[in-house]
Amino acid sequence: MAHLSAHGISAALPEGFEGRIFRRTPGEGEIALPVAHFATFPLPSEVGDFGSGAVTLMGPNDVFAVLFEYGPESLSAPLFARQGRPRRFGPDDFKPYVLRRGLAGHAGTQWFFTEGGRPFTFYSVIGNHARRNRLVPVVNRLVEGLAIEPASAGPVGGAPWN
Amino acid sequence: MVALALILCVVVVLLGVLVAGLLRSHADILKALHDLGAGVGDPAGGQASHQHAASAPVPVPFTMGTALPAERNSTSAPDLAGVTPDGDALAVAPASSDHLTLLAFLSSGCASCAGFWRAFRSPEQLGLPSGARLVVVTKGPELEIRAEVAAQASPGLDVLMSTAAWEEYEIPGSPFFVLVDGSTGRRIGEGVANEFAQVAELVRRAQIDVAPFDLGDRGTSGSRGRPSAAGLDGPARERANDAELQAAGILPGDPSLYPSSLDDLYGRNATGRDPAGTPDAGAGR
Repeated sequence: MAHLSAHGISAALPEGFEGRIFRRTPGEGEIALPVAHFATFPLPSEVGDFGSGAVTLMGPNDVFAVLFEYGPESLSAPLFARQGRPRRFGPDDFKPYVLRRGLAGHAGTQWFFTEGGRPFTFYSVIGNHARRNRLVPVVNRLVEGLAIEPASAGPVGGAPWN
Repeated sequence: MVALALILCVVVVLLGVLVAGLLRSHADILKALHDLGAGVGDPAGGQASHQHAASAPVPVPFTMGTALPAERNSTSAPDLAGVTPDGDALAVAPASSDHLTLLAFLSSGCASCAGFWRAFRSPEQLGLPSGARLVVVTKGPELEIRAEVAAQASPGLDVLMSTAAWEEYEIPGSPFFVLVDGSTGRRIGEGVANEFAQVAELVRRAQIDVAPFDLGDRGTSGSRGRPSAAGLDGPARERANDAELQAAGILPGDPSLYPSSLDDLYGRNATGRDPAGTPDAGAGR
């Protein structure tokens, strides 16, 4: 089991998972916040925040997941009112129309929450909606191994949530 | 005469001491063997004990070293996890993909690695077959200088810093290359090279070895080419046969699929027989 840890996010990856926890190079006046990508297929070196460039490479038995942190100004938004990330998903939580990029066969789920004083979204895609009974437990095993450190006193500001 | 007798006495005494020492040493050895359970010379055992000791195996304490993880062997390809030169976290699972993954174990300071770092700045000129993935693995930040590695790494190149990865793959030194076939989850090659062109050629050959039969390869092999005989079997062979026949205009129900004689297969001229089966008059000339 591979262990990843960076930028206040850590993950004990189930066997066969790849992962990357990173911060993009900030532009002028921007603050880059952490993004974590996890996949059961080789992650390309350049992947969009929500999986563009990666989800098109998925096979029908693959899983892709994103943990994306928003700026602290989002903490007061009702969208992030849920405290703590979802710990377990059911097959019906994944729907073919909950996708950043609609691809035939895929299904996705997205949850917004606050944990440790940090606003996040968790977005996951499975490669085949018809196989959700088998693939969603794989996502659950990934989620079980995630850990988020509480927010530290750092610079305020960042990318607004969209 | 007296002096000679004295010398003789001294020699005898010295030899006596030597013999006593040897007997003492022998006794110590026998005692040690007895403590180990060998039973040699055990007076309590009697004759039966001697016979038993000579014929039956005697248990001797034996301790093994630390066992390796059960899933590890010389061809396993464990997942790798570490950090990037930028401080991000990265995990790679070469055994879980359908493609080849080339792990290049390099150091930032070794002179023979410099050529590989330079070559990786032009990935389009590496000559790696499409679908093959390149991941550079250096030792972790505790043994490498991040800034040095970052300076060597080109944008877009996956660089993983992990000392544990070097230990798990038992890397003897840098540069060293390991090729993993994701479809089988096994290491299929490893070793050193002087130039990346040598590595790329080996990867290309390995990809040919592991590639499944592809009918789309006709351009290089032709309809009678080698792929038809290259290990094709089972349903794939039947599909290939069907496709070849279809391409030649032979569809299901075609009379040529149901020969009733050799002439139906090879034609009259080829067999030298007329349709009635009579030998051609000129065939023997």
